[in-house]
Amino acid sequence: MNTLFCTLAQSGWPEPMPTGTLFHYLVISAAMFVIGLIGFVTRRNLIIMFLCTELMFQAAGLSLIAFSRFHLNHTGETFVIFVLTVAAAEAALALALVVLLFRRKESLDAERWAELRG
Amino acid sequence: MSGLAGQLAIMHETLGSLALAAGDAAHAQPRFGTGVGAKFDVPRLFGLIPFIPLLACALCGLCAAMKVKTKLPAAITVGCLLASFGLTIGLYAQVHANPGDFAIIHAFEWINFQWGQSEAQSLTANFSFYADSLTALWMLFVTGLATLIALYASEYMSHDVGQGYCRFFMAFSLFVFSMACLVMGDNLALLFLGWEGVGLCSYLLIGYFYKKPSAVAAAKKAFVVNRIGDLGLSLGVMLAFVQFGSLEYAEIFRKAEPFLALARDGQWQDIPWTVQLIPILLTIGAFGKSAQLPLYVWLPDAMEGPTPVSALIHAATMVTAGVYLVARMFPLFLVSEHALTIVAWGGALTALLAATIGMAQFDIKRIMAYSTVSQLGYMFCGLGVMGVMGGPAHVFTHAFFKAMLFLACGAVMHGFAGQLDLRKLSGLGKMPGWRIVTVAMFVGCINLAGVPFITAGFYSKDTILGDAFANPAMVPIGWILLITAGLTAYYTFRVFFRVFVGPAYYEPGDELHAHDDHSHDHAHANKDHGHDSHGHGHSAWQPHPPGWAINTVLILLTILSFAAIVTVFKADGWLYRMVTNSSAGAGIAADHHHKFFGFDAHAAMKVVSGIVAIAGIAVAFVLHYSGRTSAATSKADSLVPMLGPIPRWAQNKWYVDEFYHFLFVRPLWLLSVVFAAIDKVLVDGLVNVFGWVPKALAKTARPLQNGVLHDYALRMAGGVALLLLIIVLMVNRGDRTSAAASIPPTDNSIGTLPAAPAAVDPIAVSLDPIRAKAQEAVR
Amino acid sequence: MNWMLLLLLLPLAGAALVAFMPEKSARQVATLVTLLCCVPFLAMVGQFDWARSGVDQFQTTAVWFEPLGLSFRLAADSITMLLVGLTVLLGPICVVASYTAISERQKTYYAWLLVLQTAMTGVFLARDMVLFYVFFEFTLVPMFVLISLYGSTNRKYAAVKFFLYTFTGSILTLAGLAYVALEAARANGFWSFDFEALKTAARGMTFDQQKWVFIALMVGFAVKVPVFPFHTWLPLAHTEAPTAGSVVLAGVLLKLGTYGIFRFALQFTPVAAYEYAPALAVLGVVGIIYAGLICWVQSDIKKLVAYSSVSHLGFCVIGLFALNGVGLSGSVMYMINHGLSTGALFLLIGMIYERYHTREFKKLGGLASQMPVWSTFMVFFAMASVGLPGLNGFISEFMCLLGTFQAGGTTWTEFGMIPGRFGDASLLPGATFGNLGPWFAAFAAVGMVVTAIYILYMVGKIVWGEFKAPGHSAHAHNHAKGHGHDNHHGAAHADHAHGPLPRDLSGREIAVLVPLAVACLWLGLYPSPVLRTLEEPVAMVVTQVRADVLRNAQAALPADPQTADAHTPALLQQAATITEPGRR
Repeated sequence: MNTLFCTLAQSGWPEPMPTGTLFHYLVISAAMFVIGLIGFVTRRNLIIMFLCTELMFQAAGLSLIAFSRFHLNHTGETFVIFVLTVAAAEAALALALVVLLFRRKESLDAERWAELRG
Repeated sequence: MSGLAGQLAIMHETLGSLALAAGDAAHAQPRFGTGVGAKFDVPRLFGLIPFIPLLACALCGLCAAMKVKTKLPAAITVGCLLASFGLTIGLYAQVHANPGDFAIIHAFEWINFQWGQSEAQSLTANFSFYADSLTALWMLFVTGLATLIALYASEYMSHDVGQGYCRFFMAFSLFVFSMACLVMGDNLALLFLGWEGVGLCSYLLIGYFYKKPSAVAAAKKAFVVNRIGDLGLSLGVMLAFVQFGSLEYAEIFRKAEPFLALARDGQWQDIPWTVQLIPILLTIGAFGKSAQLPLYVWLPDAMEGPTPVSALIHAATMVTAGVYLVARMFPLFLVSEHALTIVAWGGALTALLAATIGMAQFDIKRIMAYSTVSQLGYMFCGLGVMGVMGGPAHVFTHAFFKAMLFLACGAVMHGFAGQLDLRKLSGLGKMPGWRIVTVAMFVGCINLAGVPFITAGFYSKDTILGDAFANPAMVPIGWILLITAGLTAYYTFRVFFRVFVGPAYYEPGDELHAHDDHSHDHAHANKDHGHDSHGHGHSAWQPHPPGWAINTVLILLTILSFAAIVTVFKADGWLYRMVTNSSAGAGIAADHHHKFFGFDAHAAMKVVSGIVAIAGIAVAFVLHYSGRTSAATSKADSLVPMLGPIPRWAQNKWYVDEFYHFLFVRPLWLLSVVFAAIDKVLVDGLVNVFGWVPKALAKTARPLQNGVLHDYALRMAGGVALLLLIIVLMVNRGDRTSAAASIPPTDNSIGTLPAAPAAVDPIAVSLDPIRAKAQEAVR
Repeated sequence: MNWMLLLLLLPLAGAALVAFMPEKSARQVATLVTLLCCVPFLAMVGQFDWARSGVDQFQTTAVWFEPLGLSFRLAADSITMLLVGLTVLLGPICVVASYTAISERQKTYYAWLLVLQTAMTGVFLARDMVLFYVFFEFTLVPMFVLISLYGSTNRKYAAVKFFLYTFTGSILTLAGLAYVALEAARANGFWSFDFEALKTAARGMTFDQQKWVFIALMVGFAVKVPVFPFHTWLPLAHTEAPTAGSVVLAGVLLKLGTYGIFRFALQFTPVAAYEYAPALAVLGVVGIIYAGLICWVQSDIKKLVAYSSVSHLGFCVIGLFALNGVGLSGSVMYMINHGLSTGALFLLIGMIYERYHTREFKKLGGLASQMPVWSTFMVFFAMASVGLPGLNGFISEFMCLLGTFQAGGTTWTEFGMIPGRFGDASLLPGATFGNLGPWFAAFAAVGMVVTAIYILYMVGKIVWGEFKAPGHSAHAHNHAKGHGHDNHHGAAHADHAHGPLPRDLSGREIAVLVPLAVACLWLGLYPSPVLRTLEEPVAMVVTQVRADVLRNAQAALPADPQTADAHTPALLQQAATITEPGRR
């Protein structure tokens, strides 16, 4: 498990990560993800829930970048750029949907939509 | 009128030829063996005999389509039937010139099929006609009587002119076509065509007054009961085909020859039981069509049809089809040990049973119906006791006098608004315009009763009785028939003495003639009122006596019934030769000479049966004529209490219909209901079970889909957590195993990040040159 | 000119045309196309070499997918010709009969009807197994649409049941056929789905293999026919389907099952067919009587006729498994005749339904006084259905029964190998090869009586008696499909209001029925030309089955050389003589 605590600088990248270790990044990422998850599960406001999903997204992105930096390749970063782009598009769409849903029921409460009940 | 004149001329011709034939006793020596002689040729023209009525049927159909509102259909039918009758006489002349031989007239191919070389691998049943004297005998009275009765019907049905009239004559002509196919067909399949065809026409004509529920029920009953017989017949036909490899008579008779020889020597055990079974199966068909026990129940109900139909189909022709079948297939019946015994006993029991029912009925048409059933029993006995001539002879004479009896009843029904109850009619002979009907009725009655020496019915019945007593095995049947003869004389003259003589009295019936579309509703509306007065004026209802057509036909039939004596009064007369020169002649060799109390059976019967008939008439005279003052009652009524419940039972037809209903119809219906339930619950249920299995599985999983977003999210999170847990557990195990295998923990297993400096990352390695370049570039 | 291809593709092109034409002209186009189909068919009839009616003619082959040996292979023998003829005849009848009954979504309706015709024609013409199966299953789609969009109240359920039930069965058929193809590929070294190649391979299989292939094939075909316990989808589908749908269903779609039995079950797996003939015949006989009795207690006229189909096709099945000439050709005739008479009965009931919007026996009666022309046709076709001689039903029914009766298996006794099923050769000299016998025929013949009971019950209830109908009025008939589209009524009827139907049949309706009546009469009175075309294909099948069964029996002979010597020459001789189809 010691590998988790080694500094990014050890990887031999020309500009090694000066301050943190992979572990710290992952901890922050995990924390963000958990916060997002808890928020998504507990909150009922659609916009907050949406923000929470964004938070989880970014948590995943962060860990990707961290790993990318750790391994000294660009794959993770590329992913993150894609993810950000998609997230932006999706955010636009999702917010539009939220607006539409709000117009329908004058409420942002997610519980009020249960049409897919089997 | 010109049609009538032509008809008279042809009648003349027939009589002439009959007389000629009768005077020519030694003309042909009867053949032995199968009774099938050589083949001779006749012009194909005679193949038109069945098709001319078919043409009439088509033309009547055209009339219906053109909405003809005149008597044109009747004219067409009578004309075509007359033409057919004319051709039949021509055919008779041909057959007469070639005694004992047969002709085959090929019309066209019907079923002709061969799929291999062997004999069993072909099936031939063409529209070909077999002409021998038996065919000619039957066709003469079928076409002749059909012509006369069509003429009668042209007047009788006149209140239905229009659609109903066309419909009636369509079915009528179709009937003659079918009957001709039945009688003339040269193979069993064509016989079956005619057989079912006459059944259809009977169905259509019984149900002619289709708005009457009883008529519809009777029609259906007739068809279904006949179908039961047809089931036996068709199995017999199939068995015959499988046994003899052919459906054609000539071939079957040829192949049956060896068996016939065995039968003559009494070597029954050498004849395969399958061969012996054929005639028994055919008998079932014959008993169905000819209304014998246990399938007779449809015929009395069939009287729901218009009277000309009852006369032609249900008295004179169609019901004799069974007798024809037995006569035609006589060589096969002879090779069966029991078939003829079954025929004889069936006939005898039916004759007695029907006579007892006939004695207790009040509806004169029904009495005639039961007498038909009874007389048909005689005919079967005539064949069953191995007499040759009796059966066909009785068919021939019976056809004339029974048709006449029915037509006379019909005239009464026609004139008295459907009244047929002998308690409500009396002394018709004294009313103006009814003399001819009364005379016809009287002649019919003496024929049916068998008044000795002056009636044809006496001679033919006497032949049967004589044959029965002459056959040592059949003496009990002779006694049954003798008793029946007495009963017959009684119930026949019961009708005559009640209805046609005595004090003049009538009550009109409750039916209008108008059964056509326009006024039928009124007729029914009036039914509730009892006596119908609609259309005839309320107070001045008058019976209307028959017109020229009905009277002419009755006169002609009266003459013919007497003329028929010529054909039967000699034991080896014209009819004898007509029968023995055909396939039915095979039975001659089995001629018996058992004595009746020491006398020759035939000679003795002439006396005994005559006495019995006179006695029956005398009883009827005493009970129903002498001293009768009203229509409703007679001396016989005082006898009824002495007999206990028997008259009531007889009047209710011994409850046979009810018995059948509870024994067959009900259970079958219940079975159907059960089947329908089984189909719905069990058979379809099983199918649905297959559908329910996936459905039920889905149902258990369905609550998960509750539509609550947070639940989904939680479950997803839980799922991810579970997945992670599994991975971690697997990794831990993987760690242990890999440690045991002393593989460095730097492989690609998930979750363990490679120790970057120590391990040689393959990607890192592969990236090394690039990395170096990058570093250079940075510098 | 390849008429056959034209016949196949013309309705499809017509469907495309209908789809692009305005709604109002849909039925005219459909009528025209279905009538035009007669041209290529008549041309085929003219070009067909009827002297070699058992041989596949007009062979048309195009490579479809070579690596798997798939090809687009079409051909026709006389049986194909007859069944295609029935399809072509029923095409315009179905279209014309729908003029007033279908008032909404006409384009969809007629387009699918035309597609259905292509699919049905294709099934009969296909000579490649995969192609056959594609067409076979494709018939389900148009029928599903027709039932589920244009049917009565319970149409969705009926459509789904019809689709799933028959589809499930067919999957097993596919498995069986695929196994045969696999065997063929193993034997030949290359893939081929050609019927002939498959047949050769299948006939070479051992009895155990044949047994399973036979069962797999029969499951699908038995559902399609339908044979007794697999029939419950049919009454439902018939009752719910629109009139034309019922006509096609009864007329042609059911025949796919019997055709499949004839083409595959009997020819691919003859030994198994012979061995299992009694079992199948028992199912057939039970079906005849059981379904017939159920008919008697139905309250819905259409359901009665639907159950009568089950009963009637029992005759067809026993005829097939009689495995002799009379039975097989009777059975093929039955396919045609049942299509004509039952199709006509469905048309007649549809006409009543359009007028009175009910099919309940309780609510209808005595139509003879109101509709004499209709009643005449009704009685006519009822009698054809009863099997009255002189009409078509009799010929086939009688031949099926006779074939069954004859198929006594008595030929075996002369070799002393297999005892005759019902006695020995001396007892019934006219018996032919086969595994059924008189008892089967006797029980099946009881069906004659049962048929008479329920058909006359029907006729007696609705044709005869006092006139009885809901409302008694003969107007406002635009609601003919009232149940189906309640929510569309207002809008639809503004556009498609047809004039009220006449009290009795209109000229159009008579024109629909007359061809069927003529065909019934013709096949009843002069079936000889048709029967003769069946001689050769039937003889070929019979010969094959006999040869295979003999070979199989010979293989099962005791190894004792003495016995083998005693029997083998006779056997081989027998096998040799019967490999030649019968000639006049």
